[in-house]
Amino acid sequence: MKWYKKTAFLLALPWLVTFVVFWLFPLVYSFIIGFTDYELLSDSINWVGFENYKTLLSDEVFLSSLSNTFIFVFGTIPFTTIISLLLALLVNGNYKGRDFFRSAFFMPSVTSMVVIALIFTNLYQRGGYIAMLAQMLGFTTPEYGFLFDKNTALYSIMAMDIWMSVGYYMLIFLAGLKSIPDELYEAADISGASQSKKFFSITLPLLRPVALFILVVNSIKSFQVFQEIFVMTKGKFDTSTAVYYIYDTGLTTNFQFGYVSAAAYILFVIIGLFSLTQFLLIRRRQSLW
Amino acid sequence: MGITFIMVFPLLWMFRVSLSPVGSLSISEIWTSSSYTLSNYYDLFTSNNMGLYLFNSILVGLIVTISNILFCFTVGYAFARFQYITNKILFVTIILVLMIPAHIIIIPLYLICLEVGIYDSYLALILPWLVNPIGVFLVKQYIDSLPISMEEAARIDGASELRILFKIIMPICKPALAVLAIQVFFTNWNSFLFPYILTQSDQYRTLPVALALFQGHQAIDWQHLMAGSTISVIPVLVIFILMQKQIVSGITGGAIKQ
Repeated sequence: MKWYKKTAFLLALPWLVTFVVFWLFPLVYSFIIGFTDYELLSDSINWVGFENYKTLLSDEVFLSSLSNTFIFVFGTIPFTTIISLLLALLVNGNYKGRDFFRSAFFMPSVTSMVVIALIFTNLYQRGGYIAMLAQMLGFTTPEYGFLFDKNTALYSIMAMDIWMSVGYYMLIFLAGLKSIPDELYEAADISGASQSKKFFSITLPLLRPVALFILVVNSIKSFQVFQEIFVMTKGKFDTSTAVYYIYDTGLTTNFQFGYVSAAAYILFVIIGLFSLTQFLLIRRRQSLW
Repeated sequence: MGITFIMVFPLLWMFRVSLSPVGSLSISEIWTSSSYTLSNYYDLFTSNNMGLYLFNSILVGLIVTISNILFCFTVGYAFARFQYITNKILFVTIILVLMIPAHIIIIPLYLICLEVGIYDSYLALILPWLVNPIGVFLVKQYIDSLPISMEEAARIDGASELRILFKIIMPICKPALAVLAIQVFFTNWNSFLFPYILTQSDQYRTLPVALALFQGHQAIDWQHLMAGSTISVIPVLVIFILMQKQIVSGITGGAIKQ
């Protein structure tokens, strides 16, 4: 059966090559240069051990980017998750126009992030639509627009991100709702359970695997927030995030490849630990119930 | 209804601004005004390189999509049907890539492209994305659900392996490949980070990159910017409306099987 193995190998080759050249090699490469002082124009590359990591942990620009990333992740995920669950419940019923609502909610998710960020830059600008609405409701708005103020810029971007992603997670929640067997609800009806009782003891517990999937996917994505920052503020007004820092330090100003590779690995470890914790927490709760 | 309005308004706003004449109206007037013009679109193609950016996006999008259909299919087939070491290696590599956040390869990929000499060329926009691990997984799962007896019968009849692969299995996999094609095309069409850092000259800019860099003048020319945005959104919306079922099944399929 030698031809058999050969065929399998040949068929798999395109992926194996892509994997080695564009994933495995970069992964190992950036890990190694994270321990060197490699810069664009340096004559020699020196091994510096954990020096980059030590410097990073006292680099205020990096630390504030990291803390902005945490604000972004923890400030968006609860809202995104809860709103998308509510939307899923809303479009789960059987009524006319239901499919229209689903499409309308989902539409932002297929639109390019750059385009969305541009539209919201317009909406958030001084004298823009959102400022106008806020003033009508009696709020004071930042003088130079929401994106040009330290106190509002990051939160405005976060609000946009929630708006953009709820439709996508709504669809996933919807698929989760569909996979709950009707018999459970029928049985609950027979024993006279109230609507809220059914929600809290059938729907919510059975959605846990889907919720876990959403939390993990969304946090991995949110930890890497970059495009909206690039388009809307270029990291100004206290909006720089970890990936923006990597881009800014590594590819626009200093070209310190070794240093930012170490920064990328710090973020990598944070994302890994975070996903693992979510996974363990939700699994433990499941066994308690 | 209120929620629907909030969800749809920004895109309608983009469309409305793109149709309004440059400079004459204030923000509050645009929505209610009755003056419409297509000149913003016209300008983009005549005095701006919009035609080139559109061409680049379509070219790169089509090549990447076609190559993904072909390669995800062959790799997925090898993954599903051959039980030897290949299978295990494939599984490990795919899981690994799904777990690696893309930000970690920004710097090395940039350096590799410089080193190999494909930086700032179409190749940099295409080569890294020829096979998508999620696509391989999708095809693998689909082929897993097909009975193996069909291939065995064809093999006994003396059909060559290539014939079996492309004439018998591939047509059956059409639904999975359609889902895959849409997802890959959308991701590629909207992709910004890598096309931006791997190219430099205007000649290789795709639509999202061109739009993101369109700003940066003193006063932002919203009418033209929104017209450009509309051009980049329209193909996606048309495909979305025509193929909603496949798109939804592609998104939810992966999540529920977890």
